[in-house]
Amino acid sequence: MSLLYDVESLLERYLRKLVRNPTLLATNLVTPLLFLFLFSQLLQNLKVFPGVSGSYLEYLAPGIIILNAMVGATLSGVSVVNDLNSGFLSKMLLTQVSRPAILLGRMLTDVLVVLLQSVITIVVAVAMGVTIASGIPGVLVILVTVTFFELALSGIFLAIGMRSRKTETISAIGNVVFFPLIFVSSAMFPSSFFPVWAQDISKYNPVSYASNVARGLVQGGLSWSTLVSGYGVIAFIAIVTIAATLYQFRKVIS
Amino acid sequence: MANIISVKDLVEVYSDGTRAVDGISFDVKEGEFFGFLGPNGAGKSTTIKVLTTLLSKTAGQVTVAGIDLDRSPRDIRKVIGVVSQETSLDVDLTGRENLRLQARLQQLHGRAMEERVDELLRLVQLHEVANKLVGRYSGGMRKRLDLASSLVHHPRLLFLDEPTTGLDAQSRSAMWDYLEDLNRKEGITIFLTTQYLEEADKLCRELSIIDHGKIIARGSPSELKEALGGDTITLTLKDGADAALRSKTREILTTIKGVTKVIDGDGGVVAYAKNAGQIIAEIAASLDRSDIHPAFLSMSSPTLDDVFLQQTGRRIRAEELSRRETEPFLM
Repeated sequence: MSLLYDVESLLERYLRKLVRNPTLLATNLVTPLLFLFLFSQLLQNLKVFPGVSGSYLEYLAPGIIILNAMVGATLSGVSVVNDLNSGFLSKMLLTQVSRPAILLGRMLTDVLVVLLQSVITIVVAVAMGVTIASGIPGVLVILVTVTFFELALSGIFLAIGMRSRKTETISAIGNVVFFPLIFVSSAMFPSSFFPVWAQDISKYNPVSYASNVARGLVQGGLSWSTLVSGYGVIAFIAIVTIAATLYQFRKVIS
Repeated sequence: MANIISVKDLVEVYSDGTRAVDGISFDVKEGEFFGFLGPNGAGKSTTIKVLTTLLSKTAGQVTVAGIDLDRSPRDIRKVIGVVSQETSLDVDLTGRENLRLQARLQQLHGRAMEERVDELLRLVQLHEVANKLVGRYSGGMRKRLDLASSLVHHPRLLFLDEPTTGLDAQSRSAMWDYLEDLNRKEGITIFLTTQYLEEADKLCRELSIIDHGKIIARGSPSELKEALGGDTITLTLKDGADAALRSKTREILTTIKGVTKVIDGDGGVVAYAKNAGQIIAEIAASLDRSDIHPAFLSMSSPTLDDVFLQQTGRRIRAEELSRRETEPFLM
């Protein structure tokens, strides 16, 4: 009972903070949309990549939806660092709040943010002419996929944030690790287009797995093997990062 | 009355080997206004962090409100309120939202929660600015809100870590009034740390003076000052660093009737004497005969700083003066 009440209280706090810092939310939202506009325009003459059917916009859109998960995942880390350094976390720990609620409230907030971002991205993509072959049920599965991918990735930043206590570390990892991961995956460009070394990276890149699930739902023809391997990879990352997060969190609260 | 805090041989060693708290023992009675006085880095905050369950101790026994710290920190948290040194409020929320969040996390619900929030906002006189963002509050207002948020669950025992550091004179005296009221009217036991002599002197009925992780003196402020043996006579020498000169001066002062104690300090020598007013002329004359001409000779009632000086050879005051002041008090 207390857990639900505490999660609700903290969710309310985080949502208020987001609404009062609209630039943070806007920046997070703008990056994927900017990518969607820019790349679909710049590369529009390459109507069809070798080995790909349909327009490039249609290829790109699902990758951009997955990008939302990556952009959103950094939020948790930044928030936990700020609370650690301001003493707010200590203050929470002195109350009777249920400990898991501190993490759950934060993760739930980010899920809501990523869902909002993804819905906006899908609406924009559809407005630009993308048709989603699998229809409304497909959109729902895409949203679930993005949410799980975000949760799995946010664990990285929660754990690193609690360890380093620096927001700089989080944005550095966001830029230095995440951007190459996005580009050297099947999220934005077909891997068949890459040199061999990049094809190898893309093949094992988790971003590719998540993107392929979303792409199968947008373009139609999602195979069971793509779906199962996509969720398998996401689940594997989630287990590792959530374990790391819980380990760091126990150190912080003890 | 029963002890609400009992600390025995508490030691806290940091991972870098610093002995922040070096074997201290003390008791605090229920209803007491108890203070830890000491300069920066003396071990005050560390002690508070251990007592409030935020830091695990290296060694020693601690009981708070009859509860063993090792056994049930959770139960201790239910009966204590804590105002930490850094004001930890959410600047993106309003004053009221901060208090409501705190009240909810302390498991208050519905009407009872709203009423407690209103009551506390009035108590610290922030009800008129309750709907403004805390980011726009002055330092004094934030500190008051922080105090209010530590009280939502009716704690029996309130810990305050340097509650007036960084506040201007007006905010400080307002904070003093709140604390005295809480102690007297509500019967809340208060454990406060401070580096301000005046604060310790005015507020605390029981005091431990702490330096380098050790308690160097304890008692009520008046007991501590009386133990010095009278008024303080401060004698500043032109060449205060000259050990021979200081030693000669000490010798002369010791021979004068009424002088109870002479120590080095303050660029010269400090003497304690009953009825300093009656012997000050004699002191001046004796020194003159020995061709010692002090740059400055003064007498005063003893302060807690003299207690600290006598134990450590240093003054707290010097550090107090060098601290950075302060934020304006805005309403």
